[in-house]
Amino acid sequence: MPYTADISRTNPACFLFLIDQSGSMTSPLAGQPGQLKKDQAAQALNRVLDEISLRCSRGMDVRDYFHIGIIGYKTDYTGTAAIASLLDATTPQQPFLPISQVVELAEIEERQAKESDGAGGLVEVTRRFPVWVQPTAEYGTPMCQTLDLASRAIQDWIAQNPDSFPPIVINISDGMPTDGDPVISAQRITDLQTSDGNALIFNIHLSNINAIPCQYPGSVSEVPQGDEYAPMMFRMSSILPESSRRQAASLDLPVNENSRGYVFNANMESLVQFLDIGTRAASNLH
Amino acid sequence: MRLRPPKKLWAPKAGNPPDEYEDASKVVYPHRLAPGGDVARAAVADGASESAFAKSWAKILADAFVENPLDLSNLNAPALTDWLAPCQKQWNDAVPWQRLPWHGEAKARNGAMATLLGVTFHEKQNRRRLIWQAIAVGDCCLFIVNDGRLTLSWPLGHSAQFNNNPLLICSNPANNQGLWPRTSQISGECRPGDVIILTSDALAQWILQEREAGRQPWQTLTHLKPGQEWADWLQSRRAGRAIRNDDATILIIEVQ
Repeated sequence: MPYTADISRTNPACFLFLIDQSGSMTSPLAGQPGQLKKDQAAQALNRVLDEISLRCSRGMDVRDYFHIGIIGYKTDYTGTAAIASLLDATTPQQPFLPISQVVELAEIEERQAKESDGAGGLVEVTRRFPVWVQPTAEYGTPMCQTLDLASRAIQDWIAQNPDSFPPIVINISDGMPTDGDPVISAQRITDLQTSDGNALIFNIHLSNINAIPCQYPGSVSEVPQGDEYAPMMFRMSSILPESSRRQAASLDLPVNENSRGYVFNANMESLVQFLDIGTRAASNLH
Repeated sequence: MRLRPPKKLWAPKAGNPPDEYEDASKVVYPHRLAPGGDVARAAVADGASESAFAKSWAKILADAFVENPLDLSNLNAPALTDWLAPCQKQWNDAVPWQRLPWHGEAKARNGAMATLLGVTFHEKQNRRRLIWQAIAVGDCCLFIVNDGRLTLSWPLGHSAQFNNNPLLICSNPANNQGLWPRTSQISGECRPGDVIILTSDALAQWILQEREAGRQPWQTLTHLKPGQEWADWLQSRRAGRAIRNDDATILIIEVQ
């Protein structure tokens, strides 16, 4: 059965994040006054990376269950693609680092947070938050060229990890490509495969259309109306593998056999829980 | 009636060094059988591999069960909470909070998680009767075999019941709020010839799979010798995907 490969340090999985840094990302995000799409994009990425780091942390050390790549895409003022790998010492062609190294690259911000005091009240505490990516946005959206670069990086990764859980590409964008139809480029990625199945592509769609946020829809009719790019982003997204759907269902997420890795103005941290790396720390006792 | 010295087999997940083994087990037998008191206690705990410092938490729980008896005859929610409190303090004191990196701090704040299976044996006034009592949270399993037949599989009874989300005991009391209603208890009377088997989940699931296929896996387990024979046997079952690649622990106690 596909998508059941054991994810371990000897057989790691990989996430390749593609983050849209084009000018349109400076527009406001629907339903969240004061929030720009570029802020939300950086926040979504930082949160997913935080979640992955925590899953791999054993307290003092981090186990390399995952390889991580982060590619930012925009153009310069002439419209020429400016695609960069955002992790130190990597390139868009070879963007991956093991999670233990990625963890070391985070800038740590101390923020005040309110937490339960265990007796029904709230107490203000200082917590450390990791930040890998800061918001930035300018010029065009070379999404197709980025997906093509990503497919080559994925191909190389598969050559080195032929029996691993298939790579997962996560694209964070408001749609609006300026270089063609990304559905075709996305298909090139999902045509690649390890012995455990085809590569997957998921989309975090950020929109200024005020519609009810949507997670993992099963058909295009479930995608919010009014954003002309939403159907395209939905079609680009892979159907969740059965093993992931089971995990999603156990997290009380509304998924069905057609659910795709697509969220509209919603978070995707739960995605990280879709993969098995061992007995879960999240107790279902509460 | 008496209990023979226990047989213990254990192994870390294939590919992991022994110090990453996060199951724990412990057995104590007193020097002589004392009517009215515990005669023996045995426990298996399985640290949830995704939590921080799970190895020490599993060991603390298994050790506490045999060294600091939990009265299974009069157990209730406050008694379980009280029994856990020193375990949680011991775990908390052992965490190097000041030296934790950012990810470790967040992880350790949630607490470590583990499953626990504990069994006590005690004599009734009539010294011919040996009673056992057990407590379980999660998917470590207790099996009793007599005369080649499986007479108990508990708390799980079918191989399809195992998954990656077992019930767990947390070292952070705030995450144990629903613990008591999900704590299972059972008791019974030992008979001569009983073979009592405590296992962590991967071996428990294999035992049930074998049984569902009409085989008698306990025959194999009771005859396996610790050391190379056990290691070779486990390696071949894991390679054939008959046994899930996870930490493996088994305690076998025979009643004579």
